[in-house]
Amino acid sequence: MTLHNNHSATIPEHTRPIKLPSDMPQSASVTSDPTSNPSNAPQLADETCIEIANFNAWYGSFQAIDDLTLKIPRNQVTAFIGPSGCGKSTLLRWINRMNDIVPTAHSKGTLRIHDLDVLSPSTDVVHLRRQVGMVFQKPNPFPKSIYENVAFGPRLHLKLRRGELDELVEWSLRKAAVWDEVKDRLHAPALGLSGGQQQRLCIARAIAVGPEILLMDEPCSALDPASTLAIEDLLYELREQYTIVMVTHNMQQASRCSNRTAFFFEGRLVESGPTDDVFTKPQQKRTDDYVRGRFG
Amino acid sequence: MSIDSISQDAPQDPGVQRPIPEAIRQGASATAESTLNSRHRKRVSKAFYGLCVAISLLSVLVLVVLLISIAVQGHSRLTPTLLTGSHSTSEPASSGMYPAIIGSLAICFVCALSALPLGIGTAIFLEEFQPTNIWLRRLHGFINLNISNLAGVPSIVYGLLGLSLFVFMFNAFGQIKVNESSGTEIMGVERYYQVLTLAGGGDSVLIPQSDLSQPTITITEPMPAVDRQGNTFQLEVWDPKSETPKPSDPAIRHRTVRLGQGGGAYAKTSWYYFRLPFGRSFLAAGLTLSLVILPIVIIASQESLRSVSPSLREASYGLGATKWQTVRNVSLPAAIPGIMTGAILAMGRAIGEAAPILVVLGATVAKNSGPQNLMDTVVTMPVLIFHWAGDPQFTYQQLAAAAIIVLLLILLLMNSVAIYLRQKMRIE
Repeated sequence: MTLHNNHSATIPEHTRPIKLPSDMPQSASVTSDPTSNPSNAPQLADETCIEIANFNAWYGSFQAIDDLTLKIPRNQVTAFIGPSGCGKSTLLRWINRMNDIVPTAHSKGTLRIHDLDVLSPSTDVVHLRRQVGMVFQKPNPFPKSIYENVAFGPRLHLKLRRGELDELVEWSLRKAAVWDEVKDRLHAPALGLSGGQQQRLCIARAIAVGPEILLMDEPCSALDPASTLAIEDLLYELREQYTIVMVTHNMQQASRCSNRTAFFFEGRLVESGPTDDVFTKPQQKRTDDYVRGRFG
Repeated sequence: MSIDSISQDAPQDPGVQRPIPEAIRQGASATAESTLNSRHRKRVSKAFYGLCVAISLLSVLVLVVLLISIAVQGHSRLTPTLLTGSHSTSEPASSGMYPAIIGSLAICFVCALSALPLGIGTAIFLEEFQPTNIWLRRLHGFINLNISNLAGVPSIVYGLLGLSLFVFMFNAFGQIKVNESSGTEIMGVERYYQVLTLAGGGDSVLIPQSDLSQPTITITEPMPAVDRQGNTFQLEVWDPKSETPKPSDPAIRHRTVRLGQGGGAYAKTSWYYFRLPFGRSFLAAGLTLSLVILPIVIIASQESLRSVSPSLREASYGLGATKWQTVRNVSLPAAIPGIMTGAILAMGRAIGEAAPILVVLGATVAKNSGPQNLMDTVVTMPVLIFHWAGDPQFTYQQLAAAAIIVLLLILLLMNSVAIYLRQKMRIE
């Protein structure tokens, strides 16, 4: 799977939702989606999706990330854990160049998604962000209707007919497991939804443009336990089609729903590996202290 | 037992020790002294509250007195004539402000059309397109600082600027002359000589002006002419000294002039008459007022854009929207209620401005209609009020008060529209 650095309206085959609804059974749930192929996931497990090497990032003169090297595998949920200010959100925001809008932010090093050099000035960020969706800490739906929220992204990139757009919106909402709750009020304001529903709407909005990678910056920190559980279940489903990178402060959450965990401390990567290993037999003392809740 | 009742029980002289009430002793460290302190603090707090109420009532009181005095003075002149008539020097009783209302609205329209796109565009540039380059950032800061400074410049200074920039345009396009081709005319005007015919009774024909530098013409030979209906025909010339008798047919007389008959310049203007410089026209006045309100519009729009949650912008960028798409679909729709409010308040300021108008258009109020073309001058409400209020005749002062009421009502109407729009947009 390669990312093409051009403006063409291609969506990766495996996440192309547009053709989908016609051959999708009406009762289809997210898991029985014909294009997702769960048996594929294990084979691809070791394929590197995001490669970060000798990466440094600054805000002004403050160095937020110091010489970090990490490989993020495809179709897995990778959790970034660590105390506040350790650079995990910064790294996340560099993967889709969200830090471009911070005037003082700059970086050095290698950050590649497949063979695309993310940090290169010639990289088309519009195209990059289409491939790398982002979900934020606080649910941030636009003050528009539920339908318009999901249709926002596709409208930016694709010329779809009314019917196609309707299908894409439904597909995205189903995928984000919020369709049943909103199908009767698609044109009601999105801000009228509960926090958890809003966050799932934001996930639907992100996947509607057909990304390959989903970045989640503490997606559950503003939600109640029931909504958190719903999102965690959703993450588990979604990783069959998407490479998910999430930042979390919640260690239980990291252990519950991630395959791999990376522990950050003061801008450095302390340890990374399969989640079970990091939590049960950490190699570093600091990791051990942190996952046991001794600090942070 | 509450703290209040304790403090009332407390002795006048704090030196005299009394048994400490049980409640306080359990509350640990409260002493007679601290009870006194709290009483003092409460008194100061109450006094300050009273002061605030008094000050706010005072400003409301001044406003009420102002409104009442105007209403008392002006109510007898609040007649339909006030809205339909025009200023008359000889008959104050039949004077009205119709041309002034139309004039003010025309100026406001020009002002809105120029200041709003410019102001909102500037605000979008300053708020949404913040550069990362250090030099561009400094330029940004410089522009920001200057806009704040411009907001504090007295409006009469803008009047003088408008005078040289719009009225005269530094004389770069020639000077304005009365009844003559003036400046650089672009469209909407045809220039003729007006020549009396033999039909008499002031009947005249128009002869297209070929040489614009000649203000008069003397008819010596037949030439093409235009009648009042716009039909072109060949003008005939009758020589009184010749043998031919004066034509008797009225139709022929209509298109015949005496040999040697003189004619003066005459301009036929359409509503879209346009020339440079603008002269003392409502276009120049509107553009000058747009300079006055531009900083206000920019600052209000900036505030409104700044209050749009950054998380919405991030969401839009995160979906792969470009800067313009983000501004167009996210920031601007969220900020538009605030921008509209600022814009309408600024228009209220513009409609009430007298000083720059006096500089740009002069103090004339003798006009009985709204503007006839883009280069026409107008009377505005503040200038008319200024003129009437300064007149020694009591009737004019009553008229001034009545005109103030009308002006206030128009402002009130505009502000109500602003509030209505804001509410409506907020709901959607």
